[in-house]
Amino acid sequence: MRSDERVFLLGEDIGHYGGAFGVTAGLFEEFGADRVMDTPIAEEGFVGAAIGAAWQGERPVVELQFADFASCPFDMIVTVAAKTHWRSGIAVPIVIRAPNGGGVRGGPFHASSPEGWFVGVPGLKVVCPGTIEDAYGLLRSAIEDDDPVMFFEHKGLYRRLKGSKPPEETRTPIGRARVVRSGSAATVITYGSGVELALGLEHDVEVLDLRTLWPFDRDAVLESVGRTSRALVLQEAARSSGVAGHILALLATEGFELLDAPPTLLAPPDTPVPFAPELEDAYLPSAHTLNAAIEDLLGY
Amino acid sequence: MLLQRTFEERTWTLYRQGRISGSMYDGLGQEAVAAAAGLALEDGDVVAPLNRELATHFARGVTVADAFRNFLGRGDGPTFGRDGNMHFGVPARGVFPLVSMLGNLCPVVVGAALAFKRRGEPHVALTFLGEGAFSVGDVHEGLNLAGVWQVPAVFVLQSNGYSYSTPSSAQMVNTNLAERIQGGWSIPAVRVDGTDAMVAFGAIKAAVERARAGEGPQAVECVTLRGHGHAAHDDASYVPAELRALFADPIERLESQLDSQEADAIRRSVVEEISAGLAEAEASPAPDPAAMEHGIYARPL
Repeated sequence: MRSDERVFLLGEDIGHYGGAFGVTAGLFEEFGADRVMDTPIAEEGFVGAAIGAAWQGERPVVELQFADFASCPFDMIVTVAAKTHWRSGIAVPIVIRAPNGGGVRGGPFHASSPEGWFVGVPGLKVVCPGTIEDAYGLLRSAIEDDDPVMFFEHKGLYRRLKGSKPPEETRTPIGRARVVRSGSAATVITYGSGVELALGLEHDVEVLDLRTLWPFDRDAVLESVGRTSRALVLQEAARSSGVAGHILALLATEGFELLDAPPTLLAPPDTPVPFAPELEDAYLPSAHTLNAAIEDLLGY
Repeated sequence: MLLQRTFEERTWTLYRQGRISGSMYDGLGQEAVAAAAGLALEDGDVVAPLNRELATHFARGVTVADAFRNFLGRGDGPTFGRDGNMHFGVPARGVFPLVSMLGNLCPVVVGAALAFKRRGEPHVALTFLGEGAFSVGDVHEGLNLAGVWQVPAVFVLQSNGYSYSTPSSAQMVNTNLAERIQGGWSIPAVRVDGTDAMVAFGAIKAAVERARAGEGPQAVECVTLRGHGHAAHDDASYVPAELRALFADPIERLESQLDSQEADAIRRSVVEEISAGLAEAEASPAPDPAAMEHGIYARPL
């Protein structure tokens, strides 16, 4: 915001309140109400307004209070933002930030990981950082990008990850995965909260952080699995949604000969995110279930 | 507005000949509103027309050849053959492309107007809303934001009696949209006869200039009757004969105020412009399937 006057924020309670998760705290005081705009509860309306402002050369960054609420402006995102450049040449440089993920007892409407609603939509870029450096670097890249970017931020990581602010010039390239840990026995392909979980494994496994879910880094997936010959896809989104199916399809169609074992998937069941601790803990991937899945994969 | 009428008469012929794919929509009876809105805007203003506002495109400087290129699905048309009929925008002319989801463009023009306000630019953003769109939540959200933010947006309401086959009385209890906008969203609104070109122009121009002067969003309801069905496949047989009898042709109304020689000269020049534009568009290349994936992103990875 300091380096580009065109950047302004739109969202519910992001002004003096600082946002539901405090992400915009202090910005209202520094940049004022014209650049940190509290909106009515009207996601379709203010995402649409962001598109119109972007059409006219601004760089709006929208905050959805919870990623679950991406259902409200869905039409505006997939109908208007995603298709406009392809059919008219008008660029729509907007960023839509959306806290996803569970583990905070949010229940069916405040803990979802709905990345899959947008993965595979031509015209959209979908990112989800799993580290502090990428949270900063991806956000800077997303704001500087000329296309609509869905920016998912795991709400559990807001508090769990600790570290200092990366250097201002930090940029994480959109569309590029990163090997966050090298290993030889298998590749764990994951993103967001899965990175933290995978780094806890004691096996000799490579951890590939996708960072961008759409369009995802096909080359990085095939290169890593080419080295390890075994693949486990780990995501917090329900098993039949999101990027996991695309990764598994890639491995089946283009990586088949690289594999020594069938690729596996660790993801929650196909239900909404449940509320009660006993249910949510069973729903989410955990160190225990990941460890068991890796043991199975390595033992094949 | 004669350009729109003549253009659409020609596209009907092309459609029946099978030279235009998809469906066909026209604005018979609503051309005055479309032309008036386009002509009320100045350089730097922007507009998001819907599907009965081809005259708005022309008034903003979109060429007849480019419009035909889109109807014919040509590779060098405004949408490169990727979208059809009046679903097109022309960025250089400040025209945003229509999407079929009614109401979506209401918040979008509010955002464009917000950009103007943020930068202190004296421009206005305008779009149209029919009775169908008025039932959509986006329109409420857009009007509400326009009012809260006091942006220079102008809403031209096309009250033509029907949303596809559904009469306005089945869309809403109070069909006086100007009254609802003024009372419900506190946006100044007037209601005029949309078949009187000069009256429509005067009202829309005044609204545009009020918005430009910093008086916030404005609305003008233009009452017409839809001359045809919703689209080519709709014969509008559900419209009662007594309502059909009330149809007023805005072009005939304006023409009656002109000298007949002057009117004939305009008609001749419009026919020539249409024929020349069509010939130009027909000579345009077909789209190349190999280029289909180009432009999905403004910044490809």
